[in-house]
Amino acid sequence: MARIGVFVCQCGNNIAAEVRTAEVAEKLKDVPGVVHAEDARFYCSNPGQEQIRKMIKEHNLDGLIVSACSPHMHEKTFRKAAETAGLNPFRVEIANIREHCSWVHHDPTKDLGTEKAGDIARMMVERVKRDRPLSKIKIPVTKRALVIGGGVAGIQAALDIADGGREVVLVEREPSIGGHMAQLSETFPTMDCSQCILTPKMVEAYQHPNIRLVTYAEVEKVDGYIGNFTVTIRKKAKSIVEENCTECGECIDKCPIKATSQFEMGMTKRKAMYIPFPQAVPGVPVIDRNACPKYVKDMSKCGLCAKVCGPQCIDFDQQDTFETVNVGAIVVATGYDVMPAENFPEFSGGKSKDVITGLHFERLASASGPTGGEIKRPSDGKVPETVVFIECSGSRDERRGVSYCSAICCMYSAKHAMLYKHKAHHGQAYIFYMDIRCGGKRYEEFHRRAVEQEGAIYLRGRVSRVYPRDGRLVVQGADTLVGSQVEIEADMVVLATAVVPRLGSKDLAQRLGIGYDQYGFYNEYHPKLKPVETVTGGIFLSGACIGPMDVPTAVAQGSAVAAKVLGLFSNDEMAREPIVAEVNRTTCNACWDCLVACPYKAIEREAIKNRQGEVLRYVARVNEGVCMGCGVCVAACHSKTIDLKGYSDAQVYAALAAV
Amino acid sequence: METKAQATEPAAQESVQAAVQKKTAVKIVAFVCNWCTYAGADLAGTSRMQYRPNVRVVRLTCTGRIDPLFLIKAFENGADGVIVSGCHPGDCHYVAGNYHARRRWVFFKSLLDFVGIDERRVFFSWVSASEANKWAKLVDEAVETVTGLGPYTQYKMLTDTRRAWEPEMPWSEAWAPGIPEGVPLPEPTPLDLAVRAKAKEILETGKAKVVIGYAWAKRQRRAVPVFVADPAETDSLIFNALCVNNLTNYLTRHAKDVKALGRPAVFVKGCDARNLVVLQQESQVRREDVTVIGVPCNGVVYRPETWQGHLTPETLSPKCAGCEVREPRNCDETVVGEVHPLPAEGMSPIDSKIAEMDAQPSQVRWNFWMEQFDRCIKCYACRQVCPLCYCERCITEKNQPQWIDTSAHPEGNLSWNLIRAIHLAGRCTFCGECDRACPVNIPLNLINRKLGLVAKEAYGYAAGMDPGSLPPMIVFKPDDKENFIR
Repeated sequence: MARIGVFVCQCGNNIAAEVRTAEVAEKLKDVPGVVHAEDARFYCSNPGQEQIRKMIKEHNLDGLIVSACSPHMHEKTFRKAAETAGLNPFRVEIANIREHCSWVHHDPTKDLGTEKAGDIARMMVERVKRDRPLSKIKIPVTKRALVIGGGVAGIQAALDIADGGREVVLVEREPSIGGHMAQLSETFPTMDCSQCILTPKMVEAYQHPNIRLVTYAEVEKVDGYIGNFTVTIRKKAKSIVEENCTECGECIDKCPIKATSQFEMGMTKRKAMYIPFPQAVPGVPVIDRNACPKYVKDMSKCGLCAKVCGPQCIDFDQQDTFETVNVGAIVVATGYDVMPAENFPEFSGGKSKDVITGLHFERLASASGPTGGEIKRPSDGKVPETVVFIECSGSRDERRGVSYCSAICCMYSAKHAMLYKHKAHHGQAYIFYMDIRCGGKRYEEFHRRAVEQEGAIYLRGRVSRVYPRDGRLVVQGADTLVGSQVEIEADMVVLATAVVPRLGSKDLAQRLGIGYDQYGFYNEYHPKLKPVETVTGGIFLSGACIGPMDVPTAVAQGSAVAAKVLGLFSNDEMAREPIVAEVNRTTCNACWDCLVACPYKAIEREAIKNRQGEVLRYVARVNEGVCMGCGVCVAACHSKTIDLKGYSDAQVYAALAAV
Repeated sequence: METKAQATEPAAQESVQAAVQKKTAVKIVAFVCNWCTYAGADLAGTSRMQYRPNVRVVRLTCTGRIDPLFLIKAFENGADGVIVSGCHPGDCHYVAGNYHARRRWVFFKSLLDFVGIDERRVFFSWVSASEANKWAKLVDEAVETVTGLGPYTQYKMLTDTRRAWEPEMPWSEAWAPGIPEGVPLPEPTPLDLAVRAKAKEILETGKAKVVIGYAWAKRQRRAVPVFVADPAETDSLIFNALCVNNLTNYLTRHAKDVKALGRPAVFVKGCDARNLVVLQQESQVRREDVTVIGVPCNGVVYRPETWQGHLTPETLSPKCAGCEVREPRNCDETVVGEVHPLPAEGMSPIDSKIAEMDAQPSQVRWNFWMEQFDRCIKCYACRQVCPLCYCERCITEKNQPQWIDTSAHPEGNLSWNLIRAIHLAGRCTFCGECDRACPVNIPLNLINRKLGLVAKEAYGYAAGMDPGSLPPMIVFKPDDKENFIR
């Protein structure tokens, strides 16, 4: 017979105002299996917990329920208290008689509350009787992390994990790490040169003994679970034997073929043999197989690079290779894209070369950019006398399917206006805006500086269209503060286009088994309290793959994620809640409905063999490391061969019978 | 703080309180997920919203954990209404649990409705952790609606009634006229000869060790399954409208003695072939381990005892009207024969019966089915004869916990028939064997067909057509229909 204790909490007056707690306790004593029941003012307090511990020992309780607040509140507290008194923590259940009872029903006679509280407690007593003592699941941990994405968020995460003494494999899709931050000119609100602060970090990551860079590579496949992932990385063919390359750059100089530079937003050309930008890390070039005549035209005649290469490391026949790495944690830091100007035909985007995005402007303003840092408009290289910046191009615009604010545009447009003013002193910047959102340390001051000191003219209103006239661009819009239409003749128009998820973000999410929102940004476990975790154990998020964010936040997230990863790696084994599914091997039909339905791929085929090693049959097996305990498999199983620990069918039925 | 419901209808609130005191108030069981709806209900408490006290919450990890039969269990235990609620689509803590749940609800809801359990007593909803107001409103609405409908006496009566039906054995007279000793068997038809030749060829070439087919019963004019291992004995094989059995049943895990005979070859009709596809999808039969011989079928008789030597529209099994698979698919070998179906007039009898029942008030359906299920003697012939009921241990035999009252009592009879139906939802191929085997003539294929129509309407799925597809109950699409969820 069970020996259950029932503790009915008054929660000061929170419960006692609606429930006669002493009466509930008294009535519960009649339930078979209950050997002790009492009430008190606060069980969550130290003396309250002490009382529970005392009673566990005194009555030799083998299970208990605390009728109190929501289990989301104090389940952990009471389980811990019970554990210290020698009771298995999973033999403790909470009857929620506060949030689900005393706070939501008012009856001056207290009859309603008392009856319902009694019912709830009885249901939980039946449940706890069928609670099996469970112990936490121990999982070995491979103390190596994979970071996907070598932007600033990924670099920061990699550096912090590596500094913490753990190995990191940093995978980057492009030939160089650096991400979007490497493209930026200067950074708000301090106006540091972006590359000056980023490139030392890039080099540090490259040279760090604990970090291995794998550039020009993508994640192909992810297997396993927290602490034990096996990741297959596709290393795209660079056409260079990386190990032998001295990064001398001779091959780049000799390459006669030009191709559009994506890094420079298509505003200039680079060679077919290239590094994306001069400070690229690593400095090993790659051959652009879409441009190199060796591949496009089969002109085996070129091969100049191979002729000049001293260490003979050019390999035209190189193929994509696959590498498998075992890691214990995965950090996803894949960053963002911006909506292209072509999406805005009403602003002449894609039709006029002088209608550009903010990222184009960054390159124009960058000392290492196509114009050497001078603001020259792309069409004819003239220094523009008037530049119009249009905020919220695409952001907060349901028509374009983007309801969110891109978060960084207010600040970078103010920065752009300043940079423009610094470089073209006679120029005039106009900024069309919907609202100015400069929440951040020293951000508002920065914005005021653009208005007050740099003379940028802010116009509150939307632009209706931009069209070319006599070599200039006419911007038509509204100034809602004045209440009139505005028409500005500009030489260049900069669209602060919406920050959007990286191309292929959903595809990667599916490979990783993590959630994403309707746009393709990745879902955090909890937007406030678990901002860098995902619902999939061992997979973490950092930077703008979660949503639009600025550099400081991305860096902070990189460090935050590193703390999480290092925490995970601090033990040889990790313990996790034992609420997982289990299979009765004798009754399994091996129909694999569970395997198909499981959202976590936690079900495996287990071979049952005889002593000769011959496979007799297969049954389902739950990988406790991967199972998250949702119970989808339990409901899918026809023969009720699978059950969920802690939420078993028997417990549900017993609770129903007590209603 | 007062909610609108309380402010506008103090009288209703009072009457509920009075009812509680008189112990006649309705009880609602709510199955909720831990992460969204439970937390939403917590928030309702933290915000001091007021709602009716009649609800008893069962906290589960996820709506995907909810077996549809939990709802039946709740009714069995005296609930007057049931709420099922979880995270909104896309918000599931476990990525996709609620998508799975939604599909199960579609089938289960249709099933409940079809057997006449009042849909208005079941409330499906999505309530997020921030929708405290929605939770309070949902509970109030549920309590109000169910209070309006009154306590669920219909179901409670099941628990209280004893069996009223006395077996009359109406079929005993017609059963088994038998062939008197010495009367010769009918002359073999060309199709019989083709079947024999095919079986002989297969045994002689070693494609299979045993052929599972049909032959005349020794003393009755009916066809029975036979297992022929010797090529010389293939002359006993036949195929005609009396060959009702679905022989794929002998390929499942239960037929261990058949397995002992060696590699089988099996004769299948179109509906049987579909069954085999499901067995293959569910890894119960390895397709390469069996030789499948398709036989063209023009329909079989409904009751072999009514057989008068040839098939008539009156003796044709209702499942065969409107059959789309007279030429079996997914076979290794085929027997050549003519297909000349009886002319079908309008809707098949099963479909028109379903349409007729759907048009009736739910109480009428309830009465119909209770009358049917009342006859059930829990012999499990329906289970035994169904190739898809291959479970190592049937849920009825599980007693920890006990899912079904195993005695032939109205309550357990209903549970068993609902479980049987929901387990076959999206899998059944309407071979009609359960219907045929039932000794008390419960029209089981009617329920099977109803859920088959749901699968087709909701998910465009027909069981047993494509070995590469997945049954609709274990997969989902994020944009599955959900107009029934509040």
